[in-house]
Amino acid sequence: MALLEIKNLHVSVGDREILKGITLTLNGGEVHAIMGPNGTGKSTLSNVIAGREGYTVTQGEVLLDGKDVFAMAADERARAGIFLAFQYPVEIPGVSTSSFLKTAINAKRRAEGHKEIDAMEFLKLVKAKTKELGMADDMIKRPLNVGFSGGEKKRAEVLQMTLLEPRVAILDETDSGLDIDALKVVSDGVNALRSKDRAFLVITHYQRLLDYIVPDHVHVLVNGRIAVSGGKELALELEAEGYAKYQGAAA
Amino acid sequence: MKPAAGLMEHPFGADYARRTPAPADAMLAAFRDQARSVFEPQGLPGPKNEAWRFTPLRALAKVPFIPAAAADDVDVTAVPAPVAVLPGAARLVLVNGVYRADLSDKIEGVEISTASDRSLLGHIATMASVPMAALNASFMGAVLSLKVTKAATTPVHLISVAAAGSQPVAFHPRLLINIAPGAALTLVETHCGLPGQATLANPVTEIRLGEGAQLKRYVQVAEQSDSFHLAATGIALAKDSRFEGFHTGLGGALVRQEIAAVMHGTGAHLELHGAYALDGHSHHDFTTSIDHHVPGCSSNQVFKGVVGGESRGVYQGRIHVARDAQKTDARQLHKALFLERGPQIDCKPELEIYADDVQCAHGAATGEIDADHLFFLAARGIDPATARMLLVEAFLADATERISEETVRAAFTRDIQGWLSRRSLKAAA
Ligand SMILES: Nc1ncnc2c1ncn2[C@@H]1O[C@H](COP(=O)(O)OP(=O)(O)OP(=O)(O)O)[C@@H](O)[C@H]1O
Ligand SMILES: [Mg+2]
Repeated sequence: MALLEIKNLHVSVGDREILKGITLTLNGGEVHAIMGPNGTGKSTLSNVIAGREGYTVTQGEVLLDGKDVFAMAADERARAGIFLAFQYPVEIPGVSTSSFLKTAINAKRRAEGHKEIDAMEFLKLVKAKTKELGMADDMIKRPLNVGFSGGEKKRAEVLQMTLLEPRVAILDETDSGLDIDALKVVSDGVNALRSKDRAFLVITHYQRLLDYIVPDHVHVLVNGRIAVSGGKELALELEAEGYAKYQGAAA
Repeated sequence: MKPAAGLMEHPFGADYARRTPAPADAMLAAFRDQARSVFEPQGLPGPKNEAWRFTPLRALAKVPFIPAAAADDVDVTAVPAPVAVLPGAARLVLVNGVYRADLSDKIEGVEISTASDRSLLGHIATMASVPMAALNASFMGAVLSLKVTKAATTPVHLISVAAAGSQPVAFHPRLLINIAPGAALTLVETHCGLPGQATLANPVTEIRLGEGAQLKRYVQVAEQSDSFHLAATGIALAKDSRFEGFHTGLGGALVRQEIAAVMHGTGAHLELHGAYALDGHSHHDFTTSIDHHVPGCSSNQVFKGVVGGESRGVYQGRIHVARDAQKTDARQLHKALFLERGPQIDCKPELEIYADDVQCAHGAATGEIDADHLFFLAARGIDPATARMLLVEAFLADATERISEETVRAAFTRDIQGWLSRRSLKAAA
């Protein structure tokens, strides 16, 4: 069975239809990249899958392991294994990164019937992972994302993904704001998680990321529809030629 | 006795006075008589009194209180179990305002007396402008004087227990705290009550900080949901003295914590912060007044509140900077978070600044829990109740983090967490 199936998904905000029939199947082990011009609905797609309010699904469905995602609240989806690395992670003053991480890890553990992580184990785990991601040690003592630089916020998102070990990870422009070295570190983090029972949906504007995280499929989202799908060479072609020829076709 | 025209009827009339035991000491008796001559014509403050506009006493005035000393059916033999033991602190227990040596510890470095410190009594909490000080003085029962002449090493935990018998009771204790020049004290106060008939605690505290003295005073008010607490504190700060205060309000039918500080000496510094969490029909009022009389003093206030149910939170903050008080630094912030629609917040900052070379800042804001924050936490698998709890705690932490004593900060934070978890259980039921 496919890990995640998006079938003929139509989504509106108010009166305006933003997604106009998206169909996409992610199997275990696959990496799918989504590219496309600004404002075509990439973040809308990720938000709807993750369960953000304010969108109306007018048609279609999304299934995780065959189960209706829209029947679950956002937190249930996350515990079931959907992870969204936000394009713009929010700053939450007063909530320390470490207590947030611990709460999130324990929420998942409890849902899976495991006991809560003990303090020592938690510290060891987080320390190892922050090191791998090239994050400063004291970062987790700071309030979540508050005053983090753009790149630090993105690393923090990848740290959360690493700790929560999702089944389907959606990375919404996780590469934007990262310097060249960070891009490599973060990509290594993602690649380390690639496995046959996990799938990735990687949203990006830059072909460069796909040199590091090599996708199995590339889709071009234009105007709320997938205009074309192909292999990794499609990204190279887009880099060279832009979206012009698909924008005409999709309009 | 009938109240004068236009005054609200209240239980603190002639009969109440008759049932209040006379003080042993002639000086106290004279003080009380003088107070009654102030209190009687003005009565309880009504809605026309600007300082009491947001905190109506109508419901309180209808409760048939008797003086706690006149209730012969009150029996308290132990400190109520929910009052946390503060590690390393010496306990000082008051029941209905009366010092109970049998429930209290010996305290090293602090002189405790049930006689009044005359250099303080009536000098710092002024009856004319603070009606609750006039009410207290009119029916003043027990007096407790604390005097510290060096740096006291043991923190004092004052536990004030309100307990009624078959009738609602009121009590009017006076606490006089004298910190000698260069001396220091940490004082924690817990004001709580036993379930039963309603109680009214009307404590007045007068504090004098000598030159270079330091007081940390942490007050938690957690009255029973049908009970009342109308407190007034006056603080006089001498040169280079330092006061750190923190007040929590976690319930009661109606609570007002009024704090007035006067800077008398250059270099004095005051930190005054608070947090409140209200639910049901609770009403909580923080009223502060900071007088910068002399140059070169600073004051900083951060008050944060969380309101649910049909509760009402009030913050009134007056800052007065006299013409000569140049180089004053005075800051004030009040923020409230609505847990749902229904509660009410009234915030009234009053800045009266007559000096020109000063730094004064005030801020006020109300809002709800940020939906983006909630979604972010949900997207990491955190259920809504836990997410709200994390966010509310974080909101209040901005105030509680200012408690410099770690054990107290931990204890007060635990109390707030307890309040939050009881509340979310209630919401889930
Ligand atoms: N909550 C909302 N209210 C109103 N309009 C919205 C909302 N969410 C998305 N939109 C609109 O939907 C369109 C698609 O937005 P979306 O954020 O999904 O684009 P995107 O493909 O992620 O763009 P970018 O590459 O710039 O990140 C935009 O025109 C946007 O303004
Ligand atoms: Mg986007």
